[in-house]
Amino acid sequence: MATLTERRTGRLPAPLVLMLPALLFGLLVTLQWRTQQDRSELTVRYNAPLLDAASSLQKEQNALKAQLADLRAQLDQIQRGAASQTSTSRELQARIEELSAAAGLTARTGDGVTVILDDARTTSPAQAGNVEKSICHSTDLTDIINTAWRGGAQAIAVNEQRIVGSSSVYCVGSTIMVNGTLMSPPFEVKIIGPQNELLAAYDDPNELRDIKQRRDVYGLGFRVSRTAGLKVPSYDGALNVRYATPQ
Amino acid sequence: MRSSAGGISAALIAMFLGLLAVTQVRAQEVYSRSLELETPSSLTTLIANLAERNSALREEIFDLRLRTESAREEVASGKGSLTEAQRQLTQLEVFAARTAVRGPGISVRVEGPFDDRALSDLVNELRNAGAEAVAVNTVRVGPRSWFGAAADRALAVDGVAVRGPWVVTAVGSPEVMYVAMTRTGGIIGQFELIYRDTRFSVARETALSLPSLANPPRG
Repeated sequence: MATLTERRTGRLPAPLVLMLPALLFGLLVTLQWRTQQDRSELTVRYNAPLLDAASSLQKEQNALKAQLADLRAQLDQIQRGAASQTSTSRELQARIEELSAAAGLTARTGDGVTVILDDARTTSPAQAGNVEKSICHSTDLTDIINTAWRGGAQAIAVNEQRIVGSSSVYCVGSTIMVNGTLMSPPFEVKIIGPQNELLAAYDDPNELRDIKQRRDVYGLGFRVSRTAGLKVPSYDGALNVRYATPQ
Repeated sequence: MRSSAGGISAALIAMFLGLLAVTQVRAQEVYSRSLELETPSSLTTLIANLAERNSALREEIFDLRLRTESAREEVASGKGSLTEAQRQLTQLEVFAARTAVRGPGISVRVEGPFDDRALSDLVNELRNAGAEAVAVNTVRVGPRSWFGAAADRALAVDGVAVRGPWVVTAVGSPEVMYVAMTRTGGIIGQFELIYRDTRFSVARETALSLPSLANPPRG
């Protein structure tokens, strides 16, 4: 009798215990399969031409930006040549150069800090059901940029896109655009400016609380480091002054 | 006893499998950062954005070609390139927020609790919709401006406290910016859900007047 009970308790729970993970497993497989199927109905029909269109537009944009940079350089050269003619034009030219630098139209080199922002690359139990918190969002980038300006940054670039007065970080689906250029993580934010002030701004516990918490709990990639000799490119987009006129 | 141990180990294996499946699904989501995985509707939005940027670039290239030509002619005729230099300076002064500006655009009025990160997001959204100049109440936002919190629920722009109700004005295409702000699922719609006690109103403006940047940063 004693052995029988022992056998019973020994045997019965095993299939019961197995049932749960097996069910869970089946559920997950179906779920996975179904989301892929949902996606594929429209995706299969439209995605190939849309992807082609997106990548050819991005290529075209790169070429246009190169053309624009070339024209800006030509015009610059003409003006520099002409600037020596009168004192008025010399003054104008000096002012143009000062404002070009202030506006981000010239490349810059200097010491500063580098911030790396990336999706979580390892999966931890805390991530399950919290994918949103373990990946980077456009608002994380705007927060990082805001902290840099607050810390006295002089020039910033995100994945080689210079941040200027008209720059925006735009998010569609899980794709991010900076200055209208498609990009995906990891994001390298190069910041030229006073290193100690910048590091202090990022260390401030009141700054970027959300990002730091997600780094600690969900494995979001966020790293700030002191960097010497940073190169930040000039802004290569359109100036787009069409509606505003000086007063 | 033996079968019990077997059952437990079988259960452990099954659980491990289940766990693997979960991490697999999650891992795929975490890594799903390529254009191929975007939905057709997201791709369409991205394409519209790219096309818009490219046409702005083309317009500026066209404009700059003409200007380069006329600057060359001016220099060749011995007049120097004062006209072009003046024109470039004007454009830069607007772009770098160094001059007060006027023009059409929109205003966004925020009355009630609000915070600095939301203000920063609002400015980002306006810039994305093509804002050429932005101000918060009477403080002009510059290329290096930052937003912070200030005492008594005020907000700070470049360290200067700005009290609510806040009126964010932006010079640019009134139509494009108005639609970008008020579209379904747009930033104002999101704000209205998050800041339930705050009133947001967006209006097209025909003649806005924005001050210049108060303290342009040096260096």
